[in-house]
Amino acid sequence: MPDPLASRGWSVSAVILAVLAGGAYLSLTSGMFDLTFAEMVKTLLRIDPVKEHDLVVFDFRLPRIVLSALVGAALGMAGTVIQGVTRNGLADPGILGINAGAGLAVVLFMFFFQGSMQIKGWMAVMIMPMFGLVGGFMAVLLIYLFSQQNGRLDPQRLILVGIAIASGFGAATLYVSLKMNPNDFEMAAVWLAGSIYNANWKYVLTMLPWLIILPPILWWKSRSLDLIQLGEDSAISLGVKVERDKHILLLCSIGLVAASVAVSGSIGFVGLIAPHMARRLVGLNHTNILPVSGLIGAAMVVWGDYVGKTIFAPAELAAGIVISIIGVPYFVFLLLKMKR
Amino acid sequence: MRFQRILPAVILLMAPVAAVCLLFLSVMYGSKSISQETVWQAFFSFDAENVDHQIVMVSRLPRAVGALLIGAFLAISGALMQGMTRNYLASPSIMGVSDGSIFLVTLAMIFLPSSNSISLIVVSMIGSAIGAAIVFGLGWLIPGGLIPVRLAILGTIIGTFLSGLSAAAASYFQLSQGVSFWYNAKLHAMDPTLIKLSIPFAIAGLGLALLLSRSVTVMSLGDDVAAGLGQRTALVRVLILLTVVILTGVSVALAGKIAFIGLIVPHIARFFCGEDYQRIIPVSGVLGGLFLAFCDILARFINYPFETPIGVVTAMFGVPFFLYLIKTRGGGKHA
Repeated sequence: MPDPLASRGWSVSAVILAVLAGGAYLSLTSGMFDLTFAEMVKTLLRIDPVKEHDLVVFDFRLPRIVLSALVGAALGMAGTVIQGVTRNGLADPGILGINAGAGLAVVLFMFFFQGSMQIKGWMAVMIMPMFGLVGGFMAVLLIYLFSQQNGRLDPQRLILVGIAIASGFGAATLYVSLKMNPNDFEMAAVWLAGSIYNANWKYVLTMLPWLIILPPILWWKSRSLDLIQLGEDSAISLGVKVERDKHILLLCSIGLVAASVAVSGSIGFVGLIAPHMARRLVGLNHTNILPVSGLIGAAMVVWGDYVGKTIFAPAELAAGIVISIIGVPYFVFLLLKMKR
Repeated sequence: MRFQRILPAVILLMAPVAAVCLLFLSVMYGSKSISQETVWQAFFSFDAENVDHQIVMVSRLPRAVGALLIGAFLAISGALMQGMTRNYLASPSIMGVSDGSIFLVTLAMIFLPSSNSISLIVVSMIGSAIGAAIVFGLGWLIPGGLIPVRLAILGTIIGTFLSGLSAAAASYFQLSQGVSFWYNAKLHAMDPTLIKLSIPFAIAGLGLALLLSRSVTVMSLGDDVAAGLGQRTALVRVLILLTVVILTGVSVALAGKIAFIGLIVPHIARFFCGEDYQRIIPVSGVLGGLFLAFCDILARFINYPFETPIGVVTAMFGVPFFLYLIKTRGGGKHA
């Protein structure tokens, strides 16, 4: 029986894109300096440009929106894969401590290299996600090490181990960041808060390669992800090389998480919520879930950032906090629904 | 086992000695070392002109006493919670009790900026009660929500939520700096008047804990057994929660959220004294105080001459222990 939801992929995507565009529009036009619709269009299309508008749009607001969207998309997709591989609807890169692991690695990188090695600028920015990847990978290894029992992953224990590891990495990060010199510390503190307000095009370019290379791999493997849902034994008997595919999938999703942590700090709950919404909208087929979840993630972070920067203006609230205030009730709701 | 009958007595007898030793170490060492004679002089012939005397009496001594007290409060809260819920992961910081406190203290600092120390303590206690009510309420509503691992997940998530809300509120009212004291435990800035004010509450809480310890033992056998033995379980439960709320509330008001003490120490105490909470509770209190005082001294030396946040030090011991507990105790079993 064909899944009735599966055919809705395109229309659903169109709606989410519209929501995303709406958020982007609001975010682009409002702020300390309001733009009208006409002004925005003129600036974007380069029709008799005004210098001030150019500055506001191209140097401040646009990179921030693009970065939010990229980070959201990366987290949404990573969350889908992690939930799929662990077969655990409560998994999320933030809750599982992958963000924290990547964060620690990035802070260590800032601490050891930023000052001494003269690779400020491009090199440093491009290398940061690599370190994040190593850290995220460490976190996943630890999680597996501690939550595996008799070769089985217990879903709830996985979450709890993740929480423990996140708090451990968090403490280590705090410790390292306090040992830094004041300049680096300032930078690390802003970054750790999980905010996007110091976005610039450099960060966008850092994100891009990861987002161009990894999602196609995930998409290509989405079939195995479907089969893993049937249980590992069935997947193996259907000819999936479960262990290998799992490793590829996990590694790619950690890569996505690492890249987004490196540019925006830790933003939790996107990877939790987006896949659930996507599953509701387009059914159980990961070929559909994956892109839709990415889009939902992008829309969430763009809106979260918009709300964070306007609701308490002129004070800014980190997008991560906004999303977690929405995310927690949702998490509890999921727990409520879950059977024992 | 034999050693479980003798050991608690030994621990309780040795405790004052150890406490005094730690107190001395804590007063003498820090970013400025103070000699033994100066400490004695500061105690017995205090000279307000002498800077060293001031350091001892205003900064170091309250800090050391505070660490001993707070450690004891948190450990006893943890022991009570673990006994009552039969949940080996129960503790004030994991179950969202501390975060509830911080949340309400934040609100109080925003809306009642002129509130004095005593109302701060009261507000903090109400906050603990709210945090506990939310977490246990949800745990009770959710099918299987009182299973140890699930309640722990709920507690931490609600805790994150409450601290997210506090952060949002604080940054909206531009109070982040004042409030951040409460997130990052502030043993180093202990307020002597606050300690004095908290003494009556502390006595009430500790007294209740000791009075209840017998009932906790019965409770830890399970509700059915407790009811069968003639215990009024509902009443006892309320009293235990009240005690937890008082003790946690006071310690958050004094120094903010300090994690893991309430989790680790009761387990160690149980290892020494078996399953009898009449022994576990006093031993937890003693060990908790000593442990936190020790961590506090360690915090000054890890990154000498700078202070390391106490949360980092307790996490250093706490996280591995937490992982060990999950690994060995598994998901479903009760304590």
